[in-house]
Amino acid sequence: MIHEILRWAGYGTIIYFIFMQVYMIGLGLRSAAVMRRVHHLDRFGRVSEMLSSQTSPPVSIVIPAYNEAAGIVDSVRSMSIVGYPRFEIVVVNDGSTDGTLETLIEAFHLERVRIPYRPDIATAPVRGIYRGRGSFDITVIDKENGGRADALNAGINAARYPYALCTDADVILDANCLIGAMRRVVEDRQRTIGVGGNIRPLNGSKVQLGHLVEARVPKKLVARMQVLEYLRTFLASRPAWSQMGALPLVSGAFGVWKRTAVIAVGGFTTGHMGEDLDLTMRLHRFHIDNEIPYRIVYEPSAVIWTEVPDTLRVLRRQRIRWHRGLMTAVKDFMPMTFNPRYGKVGMITWAAMFLFEYLAPVIEFLGWISILVALVLGVLNTTSLVILLALAFGVGLINSLLALLLDESYGYFNSLKDTLRLIVMALIENLGMRQITVVWRIRAIFGGKGTRVWGNMERKGVANLDGAVQRT
Amino acid sequence: MGDIKRVLVADDSDTVTTVLATALELEGYEVDKVDNGLAAYEMGITGNYDLIILDHLMPGLLGLEILERWGKEGHNHTTIVLSGVDDDRIAVDSLEAGAVDFVRKPFRMPELLARIRSRLPD
Amino acid sequence: MNETTVGLVILGVVMLVAFAMLIGLVMLKAINRRRALRRRERHSRYVALISRRIAAKDTPEPIDSSTVVDDSFLDAVIDIRNVITGRQIDTLAGIIDGVGLARRQEQRLRSRFPLGRRLRAAVSLAEIGDESTAPVLITHLADREPEIRIQCARGLGRIQYEPAIEAILDRFGLEQPWVRARFADTLVRFGGKATWPLVAFVRANLRHDHNEGVIEAIRVLGVIGDREVGPSLAGILRVATDPEVRIAAIESLGIVGGPLAIRPLKYTFRSTDWRLRAKSATSLGHIGDPSINAVLARGLQDSNWWVRRNTASALAALPGGDELLLHAIGSDDPFARDAAAEALADCGVLAAARERDDAGQATDNDRLLLDYVGAGLQVLS
Repeated sequence: MIHEILRWAGYGTIIYFIFMQVYMIGLGLRSAAVMRRVHHLDRFGRVSEMLSSQTSPPVSIVIPAYNEAAGIVDSVRSMSIVGYPRFEIVVVNDGSTDGTLETLIEAFHLERVRIPYRPDIATAPVRGIYRGRGSFDITVIDKENGGRADALNAGINAARYPYALCTDADVILDANCLIGAMRRVVEDRQRTIGVGGNIRPLNGSKVQLGHLVEARVPKKLVARMQVLEYLRTFLASRPAWSQMGALPLVSGAFGVWKRTAVIAVGGFTTGHMGEDLDLTMRLHRFHIDNEIPYRIVYEPSAVIWTEVPDTLRVLRRQRIRWHRGLMTAVKDFMPMTFNPRYGKVGMITWAAMFLFEYLAPVIEFLGWISILVALVLGVLNTTSLVILLALAFGVGLINSLLALLLDESYGYFNSLKDTLRLIVMALIENLGMRQITVVWRIRAIFGGKGTRVWGNMERKGVANLDGAVQRT
Repeated sequence: MGDIKRVLVADDSDTVTTVLATALELEGYEVDKVDNGLAAYEMGITGNYDLIILDHLMPGLLGLEILERWGKEGHNHTTIVLSGVDDDRIAVDSLEAGAVDFVRKPFRMPELLARIRSRLPD
Repeated sequence: MNETTVGLVILGVVMLVAFAMLIGLVMLKAINRRRALRRRERHSRYVALISRRIAAKDTPEPIDSSTVVDDSFLDAVIDIRNVITGRQIDTLAGIIDGVGLARRQEQRLRSRFPLGRRLRAAVSLAEIGDESTAPVLITHLADREPEIRIQCARGLGRIQYEPAIEAILDRFGLEQPWVRARFADTLVRFGGKATWPLVAFVRANLRHDHNEGVIEAIRVLGVIGDREVGPSLAGILRVATDPEVRIAAIESLGIVGGPLAIRPLKYTFRSTDWRLRAKSATSLGHIGDPSINAVLARGLQDSNWWVRRNTASALAALPGGDELLLHAIGSDDPFARDAAAEALADCGVLAAARERDDAGQATDNDRLLLDYVGAGLQVLS
């Protein structure tokens, strides 16, 4: 009897894994169709010439900053030459202790002002507001520490324009990202409340003074694995989700939001480990519950670059935090899961998030244990096991290769060597790397040393909270 | 001083550098091309050029930043700044930072050549 | 056939697909790289060739007619066109004619597919076309592909082909928002020539609602900025019932200005709809006639937050407005105070006051302002 259970548990896990990969391949193929169009428009559409249009809706770029004195000036400067006709930059100094505020005041000749600041969303107390009158509009909100979500909320409160781009201080924006994102807004001004961007790991690339000079695949394996992972999500999943009208996540590193919509749901949730996932789902819920027509979309050409953890230690903390955020979200949005009332979000994408992201570590963990035990007890048919494992490997490989093929349309990685490195990565990541993240996530679920929450935002290495990314 | 004047053209668009270099070479100058700010900054110091044509918007270092650095370090180069961005502030700032002239893109070739000729020290 | 065999077959298929994808990826990468390198090299060569022709004072070297099929040549031409201006453009046009570049792109545009090539052809014609290209461009204003429609309009705007204005307006009301916004850019390019056709369009299509095309048209009128259109805009403002239309008209009136603009704006400034009041405040500020200062000042006590804010900004830009704003610093209303303080900072009065204070020459008004700004931040509710 136990043997039967073990056998089915073992096989079941592998089959579960295969289903997950097949779902992703399905998404990938759908995304491929979407990306083809994007590819043509990017190459031949000369979108950048639409920059001088005076009918583009103005955007407030909101940047939360905690202890960023080292790089904040370069960051703001490089964002100020983003290609877009009308925008303002709102930096929120979240109670920094390293002189971030002073650095900003000096670099941009800011003066302390008073403006009618209305806290449409409640935040930690605001201590002062500063403005500069140089070549671009910059406002700095100085407030007491409250975390990233709190800082973003304050920035949204102070934003002058109807749309807010929520991003991070250490992100590098591609020249056309804002125009690409706002294009989606203009397509359907009434309904569009959110646009998500395409995030690529910066590690290993050549950067000079806040500008990306050449994109390269990082040397460190940990970072390299994430390159593949991000490609799978942002090229092979999100376009499909967006096209279905069921995008469950707009990443925190780049999200253009309609201010009034964010305010209507009370802004970002403070203290949440996955505040971007939480906001996106809350917006879905709010608009569906209240029968307000809306759409949240993803724009593949809105490319931004950010650093990802390059050591296992930092990566572990990040993944634990993400999974914690996912756990909270799963609890909060349980009523939506598999609920036809919530359309494709409830039935497909959020359901998949629940099944394949949230439950995954538990299922896989139990599965592996079962397999090992079964092997030891001599219960398992080794041939079938090997076939299934090989199948799982093969399907996982197809997923990664699909993402790499889709990336060809961007042509960021010029060298053949980089592509080969990624192919090798695709081959080995299914043999060990994934299993490690499973262990981490189990720890996230059951707590334990090193998984406790900390108050302030961690600065070094892992600055932005990208929501749950598709599995390795 | 040698008869052949040396000119450095710095612009991230190789169309601009080629168009300029071709025209200048036909005029009899010796031309070096460079496509990013950092290289322009360095070559300007070491290369002993009679005239430098600097684009404003370049990866690495903006043309304006290059001028400011040269100024701070005491280098005195004859520089003409080019810019595709239609912003008066850049023109004013460039001239104040030490550029001898400011030309907007797209430019008129005969006019630019005339400016270059008049700015080249004899 | 037992389980294992089935399993092996499926496994075999999966591995084969994976292997094929892997090989395909490597080959694709290698091919793309080589193509890109060759393209760049040809591009440089063509740029050098065309540059020599443009700069040369003596007999130009002939250009091989094979270049007409080479997209790199097209790119080189377009790139150069964006870099130089003046008489050399004629030389360039001569080169384009000489090799029949435009004709070939027209052919490509007319073909049925693939999308990529057609789009590229449309973009090229938009960049290098001339009067003779216009008929093709007008025909393809109705192309089934929105991006191609946009490029055709763009091209017509660049060559300033006037008959295109009507053709574009005919499609204006039917188009998707993104395409319509880009058509609007083209109409702006036509400038004054588009003004009266736009007015006629608005008058003919004004309804009670679903006025997206009309609204965009009114915005374009504002951007073009022809003063003469003021009375027409005022008329539209009077008869329109759709608030979105009225808001657009208010905005454009503010930009266009003129003596007849003030009265209708003063009227809409008292509207029951806060959006109209807010927009009117901004527009009155743009017109810049100090006679309305007193009227505007009342907006500082408006019940709506945005109206107050816009009023303050408007006053900051008007001669004599800063007096009224400084007066508002002493008002009981915290919103009015902060809105005034913001406007005074934005227009530089605050900075000037600080400078005078540093030099020991602060006036009473300066002190009033500085004390207010220096006091602790009061968060409004």
